[in-house]
Amino acid sequence: MPVVTLYWDELEKLVGEDRQKILERLPMLGCDIERVEKEYIDVEFFPNRPDLYSIEGVARALRGFLDIEHGCREYKVRPADWKITVEPSVLEVRPRIVGCVIRSLRITDEVIRSLMEVQEDLHWTIGRNRRKMAIGVHDLSRVYFPLRYTAVDGNFSFIPLDFNTPMTVGEILEKHPKGREYSFILEGKKVYPMIVDSKGETISFPPIINAEKTRVKETTTDLFIDVTGFDENVDRALNILATMLADRGGRVERVEITYPDGRTEYMPDLSPKKMVVSKEEIFSLLGFEMSEDEIKHALGKMNFNAEISGGTITVLVPPYRADIMHEWDIIEDIAIGYGYDRIRPEYPPTNTVGSTHRWNDVRDISREIMLGLGYLEVITFTLTNERVQYEYMRRKGRIWRDYTPLMHPLTEDHTVVRTDILPKLLELLSYNTHHPMPQRIFEVGDVVIDGKNRLRLAACSTHARANFAEIRSVVQAVMREFNLEWNAAESGDGAFVEGRRADIVMNGEKVGVFGEIHPEVLERFKLATPVAGFELNLSEIFDAGELL
Amino acid sequence: MLSHIEITLLKALEPQRKYRVDEAASISGMKKDSVLKAAHLLQEKGLARVEITTKKVFRLTEEGKRYLEEGLPEERLVRLLKEQAKMGKVEELKKTMGKKEFGIALGWLRKKGAISVENGVVRLIKAPEFEEREALRAVAEGRAGSMVKTLLKRRLVDFEEKKEIHVTILKKCEEELREYIADITPEVLSSRSWRGKEFLKYDITIPSKEIFAAKLHPYERIIKECRKVFLEMGFTEIKGNYVQPAFWNFDALFQPQDHPARDMQDTFYLDRYVELEDEGDVVERVKETHERGIAGSTGWGGVWSIDKAKQLVMRTHTTAITIHYLAKNPEPPVKAFCIDRVYRRETIDATHLPEFDQLEGVVLDENVGFKDLLGLLRKFFLKMGFEDVRFRPGYFPYTEPSVEPEVYVEGLGWIELGGAGVFRKEVTEPLGIKGKVLAWGLGIGRLAMLRLGMKDLRRLYLPDIGWLRSTPVIKR
Repeated sequence: MPVVTLYWDELEKLVGEDRQKILERLPMLGCDIERVEKEYIDVEFFPNRPDLYSIEGVARALRGFLDIEHGCREYKVRPADWKITVEPSVLEVRPRIVGCVIRSLRITDEVIRSLMEVQEDLHWTIGRNRRKMAIGVHDLSRVYFPLRYTAVDGNFSFIPLDFNTPMTVGEILEKHPKGREYSFILEGKKVYPMIVDSKGETISFPPIINAEKTRVKETTTDLFIDVTGFDENVDRALNILATMLADRGGRVERVEITYPDGRTEYMPDLSPKKMVVSKEEIFSLLGFEMSEDEIKHALGKMNFNAEISGGTITVLVPPYRADIMHEWDIIEDIAIGYGYDRIRPEYPPTNTVGSTHRWNDVRDISREIMLGLGYLEVITFTLTNERVQYEYMRRKGRIWRDYTPLMHPLTEDHTVVRTDILPKLLELLSYNTHHPMPQRIFEVGDVVIDGKNRLRLAACSTHARANFAEIRSVVQAVMREFNLEWNAAESGDGAFVEGRRADIVMNGEKVGVFGEIHPEVLERFKLATPVAGFELNLSEIFDAGELL
Repeated sequence: MLSHIEITLLKALEPQRKYRVDEAASISGMKKDSVLKAAHLLQEKGLARVEITTKKVFRLTEEGKRYLEEGLPEERLVRLLKEQAKMGKVEELKKTMGKKEFGIALGWLRKKGAISVENGVVRLIKAPEFEEREALRAVAEGRAGSMVKTLLKRRLVDFEEKKEIHVTILKKCEEELREYIADITPEVLSSRSWRGKEFLKYDITIPSKEIFAAKLHPYERIIKECRKVFLEMGFTEIKGNYVQPAFWNFDALFQPQDHPARDMQDTFYLDRYVELEDEGDVVERVKETHERGIAGSTGWGGVWSIDKAKQLVMRTHTTAITIHYLAKNPEPPVKAFCIDRVYRRETIDATHLPEFDQLEGVVLDENVGFKDLLGLLRKFFLKMGFEDVRFRPGYFPYTEPSVEPEVYVEGLGWIELGGAGVFRKEVTEPLGIKGKVLAWGLGIGRLAMLRLGMKDLRRLYLPDIGWLRSTPVIKR
């Protein structure tokens, strides 16, 4: 989630309130304060509120929330003669383009910084790393309308930003830093989107890079902004940028976009969206009643305009709010405007009888038995690797049939999900050889076999005289306490010493294994003291049905 | 008062007689160590004297042993000369006796004035006395006579220094010889011999050897406490597989298929796909909701791909389980919870782990709202010992309204302990869930860190046995 740096001086100026008051109420607007410094504050806003990724947007929201300026501002879009034609060739590669012109803006360092930051954050969030949406900001004086939004082949060339000689599209994708970073978006495409002006000069190669010629400089006063992509995310981004620059005093002028099918769009559309919410739904979702004034006040604080008539409320949603999909989204804002801290929590009246899950009952019984036998409980990761699970244990595991490999592991230590707990216990003992002996440990937990969880109990004893007889006594005691009939059968498990290992068998089915750990296994785990251990398949013994 | 070993020794030995420690040990039936310890203790009380002496113990060298058997070289030379009319040629004698021994014999006999050597001929003048042979025998028998010095010089004898400790009991006093009971043995009990006697008193200030309790993992104890709270509040415990189709982990929760949280960056995907046919028309309804919305919502637009939903993932939250449970139990009232392992593709550090435990719960009912969710969370935290709870707006893609509960911890301030909200209609409607769902998820590791005063999450899953042993069952 984007972290926005807000400088106190600027924020206080834009909000019209001191930092004390801002800091006190900001968390109740919905954000995580990351750090508070003398000069600035770092705030993480939620991904559903891209309109708060700029200081202008935050100031606007705070003015509402702090009761300085309620309701939705009116944003004027002036008619003008800026035209873009969308050519058929670009439809299959990046079909949508919108744009706007901002004039008479005092472009200060603050404005440039804020614009750059919000552009980055929007690219990352609603743009999904420029895949779904990408923004280009240009010096209007260098752009000659009307524009063509077209598609070109790889040999097409222009001078990209930060370069002084023409490069072909192919060269840009291979050599230009931005080209390399974002070439994945155009991978496998035969044609490339391009915005070309009436002089035949390129102004942008979306979503990769602008042309050098339209670079925004200190002398720039008027901007042209293009947003390209696939769906309504382009409108969302454009509205956020246009309203934020309008808040800075810029004059917004509309752009006419004509599609090959003759359809014409006028952008940006900064008229508020109308939504209807019923009082009944508000009371039902929040669980308490509010007066009409309270509802109106709460909406006003959150920069909505509202008309209440009878049971229904007509809400005007400001054009920069990209997250309002449903009635409930507005109700949440009513709750935030009302103040989460003013809501009186009540314990729900829902009356049900509680019950434990069978697996956890078995785990608790296992714990009781093992603690009684003097074994200390441990917890280990379920993520592990083939080396510890099989190679070190002189065992074999079959991919998928037994174990579950991760597709993109982060480390060599965690590449698969465990199918056995015993190796994890040996691994744990190997980290603990410096502690006094004897060490007797157990874990009762889940393993994953063939994609499904299984419940296991495993235990180890290590000290100078740990042996088969000791662990057999433990297995005998465990099985006696579980009240299970069993017998020991010859085992072929390589983890144990031949002749000192046995399968735990119930009704002819193997349900576990125990014995003295083979010295070769001990060597691999760097253990210098003998270990005896067992592992028992509890979910096979105590059938608990299918898990979700 | 005397200790058990002092009394035993006092009783066993006669007063005013000097005993070696090994003698005292065999008489008293004690170990030598105990005899020594007791003797020193008695000496401090003026009841005994301990003397340490060092003594030379002589023994024959290999050469000495041989001469004792075969006679000394000079003896052999005298014998030879006697056999040859009391004279013999040097060269011949040398040959017979060996050069080395002949030399030794010649030297010693000359010293004793028993022979003369002229012109290569040895003559016996007088028959000498051989005290050395007797002296060797004496050493072999453990007696060391006046000749020892000579034998040492000739390296026929060497010695070892032995430390000897003697104990002498100076006096016995009846007071101290009273009978004490040391070990309460079965014999002591069956013979009732302890009656009328005093029990020996031990030094209770000396710590005994450390032993360690077998106990629950401290983290498990906190999980147990959380389970208890929810069971007390009437919740049903549920459980599901770690491996889940993306459908239940993401799609059913209205997470758009291009949502960053679904990236392989953050999620452990498996290269395996399951069929979703068993889930029935739920899949189709979820698809429609994503593409076109439901119940007045606009949806995400675009095309929803069933293939993405079929891919298996290591579940990233236990909400995958609660939503599945609700889909199977859509009629209110339902109260369910789950505390179990979840996975995130994160590198390990003090506050991030690739797997950790989450506490998850839902209430499904007709007449519950957001304020009931807050009430429930407050009750839970109160039961867990956090008295100050506050609620801040939050954001989760599948809840609306969303809230982040925080608890106040002395010295740390407000600590966020998870997220909660009311499931969106885009989540409940396609699954046919009737009513509103209050839902919350808490990172239980954070709770454990607060409770255990820990700064490193790794401790919980990579336990150090020393830490487990030293962490008391009752904390604070």
